[in-house]
Amino acid sequence: MEHNHEQTPEEQEIISWKKKTYFAVIITLPIIFLMYQSVLFGKELLSINVTNILLLILGFPIIFVIGYDIIKSGLKGIINLYFNMDSLIALGTVIAYTTGILNFFNFIANYSGIASMIMTIFIIGKFVESKARGKASQEIRKLLELGAKKAVIIKNNKEIEIPISEVKIGDIILVKPGEKIPTDGIIIKGQSSIDESMVTGESLPVDKKIKDLVIGATINQDGVLYIKATKIGKDTFLAHIIKLVEEAQGTKVPIQKLADKITGIFVPVILVLSILTIIGWYIYNGDISLAVGAGIAVLVIACPCALGLATPIALMVGSGIGAKRGILIRKGEAIQTMREIKTIVFDKTGTVTKGKPEVTDIYTTKNIKEDYLTQIAFSLEKLSEHPIARAITEKFKNKKQRTVNNFKIIRGKGVEGKISNKNYLIGNIALMKDMKIKTIEFESIIEKYQNSGKTTMIVAEDKKIIGIIAVADTIKGDSKEAIYKLNNLGYKTIMITGDNEITAKAIAKQAGITQVIANVLPEDKAKKVEELQKENMVAFIGDGINDAPAIKQSNVGIAMGSGTDVAIEAGDIVLTKSSLMGVVESINLSKFTFSKIKQNLFWAFAYNVIAIPLAVAGLLHPAVAELAMALSSITVVTNANLLRRKKL
Amino acid sequence: MKKLKLAIEGMHCASCASNVEKSLMKVNGVKSATVNLMMRKGYLEVEDKVSNEDLKKAVSKTGYKVVNIEDE
Repeated sequence: MEHNHEQTPEEQEIISWKKKTYFAVIITLPIIFLMYQSVLFGKELLSINVTNILLLILGFPIIFVIGYDIIKSGLKGIINLYFNMDSLIALGTVIAYTTGILNFFNFIANYSGIASMIMTIFIIGKFVESKARGKASQEIRKLLELGAKKAVIIKNNKEIEIPISEVKIGDIILVKPGEKIPTDGIIIKGQSSIDESMVTGESLPVDKKIKDLVIGATINQDGVLYIKATKIGKDTFLAHIIKLVEEAQGTKVPIQKLADKITGIFVPVILVLSILTIIGWYIYNGDISLAVGAGIAVLVIACPCALGLATPIALMVGSGIGAKRGILIRKGEAIQTMREIKTIVFDKTGTVTKGKPEVTDIYTTKNIKEDYLTQIAFSLEKLSEHPIARAITEKFKNKKQRTVNNFKIIRGKGVEGKISNKNYLIGNIALMKDMKIKTIEFESIIEKYQNSGKTTMIVAEDKKIIGIIAVADTIKGDSKEAIYKLNNLGYKTIMITGDNEITAKAIAKQAGITQVIANVLPEDKAKKVEELQKENMVAFIGDGINDAPAIKQSNVGIAMGSGTDVAIEAGDIVLTKSSLMGVVESINLSKFTFSKIKQNLFWAFAYNVIAIPLAVAGLLHPAVAELAMALSSITVVTNANLLRRKKL
Repeated sequence: MKKLKLAIEGMHCASCASNVEKSLMKVNGVKSATVNLMMRKGYLEVEDKVSNEDLKKAVSKTGYKVVNIEDE
């Protein structure tokens, strides 16, 4: 069904260079034969004039037909004063070709055969480079092609297959086992395990049932699902990821600034240098042939491409590898900044822990029935969105919901409201103290819960405590391993939380985190990060929803969440799998990518710094110069591709 | 202000991308322009008055072609 595969611009480019390469090489072979006949046969087989005419005839199609686009773009650049790489090659080959005509007047040595060789080597180089570049972008292209093409919708009890672009929000979609889920939606019938690895990097399939959300482009493994489309086209999770990865390619890594500045002025500088080389040599020894040869070598050896490609190609390979594993690099800058990070701050809930606290203990005072307490707690917390509130409503969902008046959320502390003319408060001990409620006789119970890492929600009725509900959130399976690795790498790990110090310390201890900053209100997290930044560069890891300001404040902000839960716009790096190992992997990926960028820039600079003076000095044959030029950009792209071999 | 994504054809070297960037920045009303050689895309922030034609002209002046403009 998907055989009518359209060629991407990359593929078209590769095919076009490939064709040009074939023709150019076929015509260049007899040219080389003509140029080196005395070397090959010990004597000239053809008279010089015949050889020269043949060189011009054979060279014409290479330079002006196969190389038409290059010559056109190069000359256009010169005319409009937007010099580019092609300007150098166009000038180099046209000047060299012209010497073949001037040679008839015994005026100058014949470089016309070399002109053909330069153009052919340039074209071969571009062919190899375009292939390597195609490889560099393979992960990102796969991401672009990930979306389903068709969907089967149920209309008037009939199954109708329609193109994905015609699916509307609210359509009921049938997804059979083994099929791709066409778009984001909610399951209305059926259950299945779903492979979300292509979108979240999470390798284990996820079990989903009615009312669960599914992500477009993930694969339904074993059950028949009926899904109601909730998001289509540009609004789907996959579309967001693609946009983000694409946009990241447009961001700059600071280290490339110098290279960018140089590429901007590179071509005109080389043009001037080439003219100076010709004049210099002519004045120095009066040999116009030698002078022009050196000038051509300068034109064709100079390569802004290696410099200009060094950073973006590595960023592209790096972010492609990341995207495959659920690590989305949003800003190129993060790769560079990551190296200077010394402190890693974790939000507790949902980051270090599962973020889904459960009710573990219920304590009631005398004369209060557990049923009554839980009914009050359920009715009030039902109106709150806080994770702890959700734990309580989840646990007591079978209780009767009573009407609550004057409901108010007291941020970071709890909730209050009125039920049948009685005032209720549910919250932490700080809230009770704020409200001047006596807590003294309950403090030992609260302490007992807190010492074991549980959070206590105190319930008060008309300013008297009637019960305590203990809630605990456990750490994720691989948090400990991830923190261990980060500590070993020399990072200072800190956990920040709105919880009290004792609960926080209990969790931190389980995870192996060295320092805890407890009792921090959500709005103060950014301030704490700012304080830590006075000592060191700080990375902050959180869910991106409640801690967006802290993520923004930090030097490298990492937003993480499972699948669509993550606030994708928040971080410099976004993790779509909910595992702290993703943090270790992003740090490694950043380091590897940045070191590739540095290597690439080093090679590109070194190449130009060494090769250009050699060409100016007349020490390089123009064809060798062109070969070196082609190899320099191929090296940079190939080196970036080697990033794939690194284990994150 | 609007954000635009340009698909640009024909660029095959780093100085090409840098030329296109420069030329786009010269268009009156263009606030920022980043051209990515690998993705063949230009990411622009422009004032509302800037017409697609102006941008196409700026790109074609440097020798390349805009094949698509997407409003984000």
